[in-house]
Amino acid sequence: MRLRRAWLVAERDLRAERAQPDGIAAAIGLTATLVFVESLLVGPAIAAASPAIASALLWIALTLGAILAITRSFDRELEDDALEGVLALPGGADALYAGKVLAATLLLAVVSAAGIALTVLLLDIEVGLPAHLALVTLVGAVALPPLITLYVAISLRLRARALVVPLLAVPALVPQLIAASAGSAAAIQGDAAGSLAWCALLFATALASAVAGLTIGPAAIE
Amino acid sequence: MTTTYYPRVVRGPRILPYLAGATAIVGAIALFMALVWAPADAVQGDVQRIMYVHVPAAWLAYLAFVVVFLASVAWLWGRSPIADAIAVASAEIGVLFTALAIVLGSIWAKPTWGVWWTWEPRLITTAVMLAMYVGYLLLRSLSSDFERRATRAAVVGAIAVLNVPVVHLSVTWMNALHQLPSVLRPGPPALDGRMYATLLVAVAAFTLLYAYLLVARVGLERARRSAP
Repeated sequence: MRLRRAWLVAERDLRAERAQPDGIAAAIGLTATLVFVESLLVGPAIAAASPAIASALLWIALTLGAILAITRSFDRELEDDALEGVLALPGGADALYAGKVLAATLLLAVVSAAGIALTVLLLDIEVGLPAHLALVTLVGAVALPPLITLYVAISLRLRARALVVPLLAVPALVPQLIAASAGSAAAIQGDAAGSLAWCALLFATALASAVAGLTIGPAAIE
Repeated sequence: MTTTYYPRVVRGPRILPYLAGATAIVGAIALFMALVWAPADAVQGDVQRIMYVHVPAAWLAYLAFVVVFLASVAWLWGRSPIADAIAVASAEIGVLFTALAIVLGSIWAKPTWGVWWTWEPRLITTAVMLAMYVGYLLLRSLSSDFERRATRAAVVGAIAVLNVPVVHLSVTWMNALHQLPSVLRPGPPALDGRMYATLLVAVAAFTLLYAYLLVARVGLERARRSAP
């Protein structure tokens, strides 16, 4: 029943995003801009020689993109005065938090695919293990939203939200960012064992942040 | 003759003078042991003595943030105002001692490593932890509604504690210039007996200082809230 409610919230979010795709457009736009700037600043020679740099910059870009998309998703709730209605339902806060995380995960998977495609094309990177890179990207898309959604939710009614969310979320996501960057770099270099090991750590951080978020996240939604 | 009456919250709890006395006595003993009794390190010489303030400062940072976590969970569980007062008091002390640990570590690093700062896992994770708790205090300062501020802060305080094991274990997970844990590790401490004893007394002195600051700060917080 709870899962069904969460899915309904996620489905509603995805429908709203399809009708007015400003969240995903902002996320892809920012990620693409950062990849373009990266290709200008670093260039293919350095990126090809050190995939760790390209991976790290990509995951930082994806994190900022995810913050934009999730913030936009909550803004839509506030603009439409929909938040109070959802919260008034039984288990509303749980469903809202879980549904937002679910929708953000699906959106981030799309943004990540676009970001990786741009990085590989623009920086002319030869990917050693494409399937491993896809796996790390997928797990990364699961690992980032729980904490970002949590921090966006707690700063929902703050005027200084634009300042607070990145300040709180980015340090909290350091383990996820290390694992995702190192896992992506290992996949690009063709290191299967390294890529899978980092992927396992990324999955563990995803699980920990999802459990922490689901336990205390609903309490934070006002 | 007139007598001025101050409410207990303004005078501070009764235990405060005892904590101050105990901190001063144990602190003086720790100072003597660190500067006179403990031997100089065979390799680093007297520079190593900074460990007797650097390690206790780092320990206090860990302790303070674990207390923030416990107080945050207590707030989310029972909405007790004292839990929120303990959380903010402990977070402020934690930020102060994390910054102190970083500064003292830098002073030790210059003659030992040759640099004030290097991109090293323990240093970076500690700086990230400091940033998180500065963010925690910033979040608290942005809201005037007590209930909302306490709930928001409690959520961050409950999550941010995950940084403590990351900081402590970063030197074992990654290639690190910083030395491995000497006391909080499996097996016996990797220290000379007198150095170990001195370190324990210094940790006790810092812990008493933490207790003093916490009680005093919680008293101030309660006084502020009860003020008209």
